[in-house]
Amino acid sequence: MTARLANSRLAAALTGFGTLVAILVLVEALIRGGAINRFIVPLPSQVLVAIPRIIAEENVLHRLWETAREALWASVLIAVVGIALGILLYRFRLLRSATETWVAALASAPIVLMYPLFLVIFGRSAATIIAIGFVAGLPPVILKTLEGLVGARQVLIDVGRSFKLTDRQMFWKILLPAALPSIFVGLRLGLIFALINIVGVEFLINFGGLGQLINDLAERYDLPATYGAICFVILVSIVFFILMERIERWMRPID
Amino acid sequence: MDATDRLVMPRAGWSTPQRVRALRIGIVVTILVAWEAVAASGLLFRDVVPSLVAIGRALGRLLTDAAFYWNLGVTGAEIGGAVLIGGVSGLAVGLALGANRFLARAYEPFIYYLGPTPKIIFFPIMIMWFGVGSGSKVAMGALSCFFPIAISAAAGMREIDRVLIRVGTSFRASPWQMVTKIYLPALRRPLVNGIRLGLGIAIIGTLLAETKLSNRGIGYLIIQSYSTFDMPKMYALLIVLFVLAIGANALIGRFAGADTSSLDRGRPR
Amino acid sequence: MTSPIPTGGNPTAGVLLSVDHIVKRFTTAEGVITALDDVSLAVAPGEFVSVIGPSGCGKSTLFNIMGGLVGDYEGRVAVGGETIAGTHPAIGMVFQEESAFPWRTVIQNVAFPLEIAGVPKGERLERARHFVGLVGLDGFERRLPAELSGGMRQRVAIARTLASSPRILLMDEPFAALDEQTRLLLGDKVLQIHQQLQQTTLLITHNITEAVQLSDRVLVMTYRPGTLKRVVDIDLPRPRTSEVVGSDAFGHYVARIWSDLREEASRGIREEETRTLGHGATR
Repeated sequence: MTARLANSRLAAALTGFGTLVAILVLVEALIRGGAINRFIVPLPSQVLVAIPRIIAEENVLHRLWETAREALWASVLIAVVGIALGILLYRFRLLRSATETWVAALASAPIVLMYPLFLVIFGRSAATIIAIGFVAGLPPVILKTLEGLVGARQVLIDVGRSFKLTDRQMFWKILLPAALPSIFVGLRLGLIFALINIVGVEFLINFGGLGQLINDLAERYDLPATYGAICFVILVSIVFFILMERIERWMRPID
Repeated sequence: MDATDRLVMPRAGWSTPQRVRALRIGIVVTILVAWEAVAASGLLFRDVVPSLVAIGRALGRLLTDAAFYWNLGVTGAEIGGAVLIGGVSGLAVGLALGANRFLARAYEPFIYYLGPTPKIIFFPIMIMWFGVGSGSKVAMGALSCFFPIAISAAAGMREIDRVLIRVGTSFRASPWQMVTKIYLPALRRPLVNGIRLGLGIAIIGTLLAETKLSNRGIGYLIIQSYSTFDMPKMYALLIVLFVLAIGANALIGRFAGADTSSLDRGRPR
Repeated sequence: MTSPIPTGGNPTAGVLLSVDHIVKRFTTAEGVITALDDVSLAVAPGEFVSVIGPSGCGKSTLFNIMGGLVGDYEGRVAVGGETIAGTHPAIGMVFQEESAFPWRTVIQNVAFPLEIAGVPKGERLERARHFVGLVGLDGFERRLPAELSGGMRQRVAIARTLASSPRILLMDEPFAALDEQTRLLLGDKVLQIHQQLQQTTLLITHNITEAVQLSDRVLVMTYRPGTLKRVVDIDLPRPRTSEVVGSDAFGHYVARIWSDLREEASRGIREEETRTLGHGATR
């Protein structure tokens, strides 16, 4: 990278970061000056201090683990069921034609709004949370698996035919490998959808890990801590997202 | 045995569209029958799977209840406000980021990485700032849909075929002409898709907020039916909700000219 | 039937477009690259000039500079004696990529420059129809580009540019994305238009046959840094019928231009290889 290009990227990054800092400083000043009510918006400096306090006092690691465990369960279910259904829809054309639009509609439907229903069925427990995560993350995996299989380049299939591969060999040696990149994209999407809904439902039903943390602190009227917890959860979510991207890029060196 | 073989040698009289429809009906009927069987058998906790008749009755009661429509109106208005606020701001920010590379490098990471986070956790803040009434719900919905709309708008801006801009420049179109005759038409599909996505997410954000803390709206009705354990009513509400949500999505798609994919790059289908 | 089109190195019938000592440099990740190094040319009214060169010779950069889409260069571009900076109404451009607006019908596309200029609707559709007919797309006025073939879409782009009545028509490899047969047919069409309108045209191409068939003069460029290597006057009768195209004289012109071009193209390939190897070594 020439110096100019690197400089411009650096300048942009600094501008972005600087704007954030500037806003926080401005808010701090406005609150101290009385322009903003400090019982509605706590001092950013207090929020900053609250974060390590939360980590120390609120058993944050354990809560993180709770959420991660729920996510893990949901992911396993999503992967197994999603990929299986995707393959099923691929094999049976009629079924695919009949149900593909339904699955796509499901992907954009507000499934998480069914959480009261799951509350009734599973009670206020991890099962409810995992169930919502599962249902929310399932459609993208099915669709992407299907897309990957259908989208396998015809020429690759022709190569398989020219080597007289059996149906089974064709599937395991050509179709599935060709579909793998798409499947991984689906899994990443599914995991993200699942996680968003998991943390959200934890907050809503006041059970579980990180989501419940925010709920607890909000109900205790500990303002700086509530803001701090929200920041913390956002940070965790961002780190997780970046991690997912890195992993996916690492798995696809040829691009 | 491959099901596709049957397609190659069709049974007499059954064309593929007919078979698809038959299969769909078959699936729906099977589900309904299984449902009713579970309801009648009392296998599960009695009211978790109420009989279809009970659900039907609850649906009927709901649709003839003035209070339901009033609550629907409240929710509708909140969603409308959310889409308006979140949509306009998302559009403005997204287009600006798509147009200017420096701004994009400086600020887009914020939007990109904040996108896949659960916005409902901001609800306590929204309540503090906007009160326990509709304000906090609109705010929640607006916050939720701001991100996908901004990201769509920025992406749409970048996807505009550069040559079309050069054509406009080579014909010396004024800035206003460039915007109305080139940018806007070229942005139509990404914008419509972004708004569809935004609407869906605004619906979710607003309704979740209603279920958490509210005394009106559809979300409130759902939680109320949960706390009074009126399962048929909950199912009825969920059915209405999903039909409306999916219907709205389909309507926008139809209105925007569903398959415009081929028009964008002038390539034949 | 021939027309009084000037041939010969330096046209005496006046100069419509003159390009003087253009130098264009770019700063890239690999340092400063000189795309064009002292390029000069002149086009007389009614002339058809082709600029031909290997990939990487800066032809498209030259095209963009003449059209006013690229600035920051040394030298001067002038139309009818008047120096231009930025886009100029006297210059019409047809781009290499598909540029018909996908959301407008054929007639709406062609009417676009007239719409920009503020010509009232009835009149501009009337005038546009004339140009649609000129490129042979009668009957397709109400179609959308998606319904047309690649060649037809390029014709729409050409008709659109002609509708702005440019004094000079610049075309940057407009037929590059088309198959050979379509190219030949469109080449004929362009010849027809040139004949009919006496349209001054500068065509950028990498196709030697096309250049010789269509032009009065062919300007051969070197590989980067691009400069004019040779000017070849094409002294063949017009109209350029298939007889003319099949003649010995035609073949000689093509051979001559190819021998110049081959040298530059080889140099280009060798330099690309060296660069790629160089990158590999430092990875």
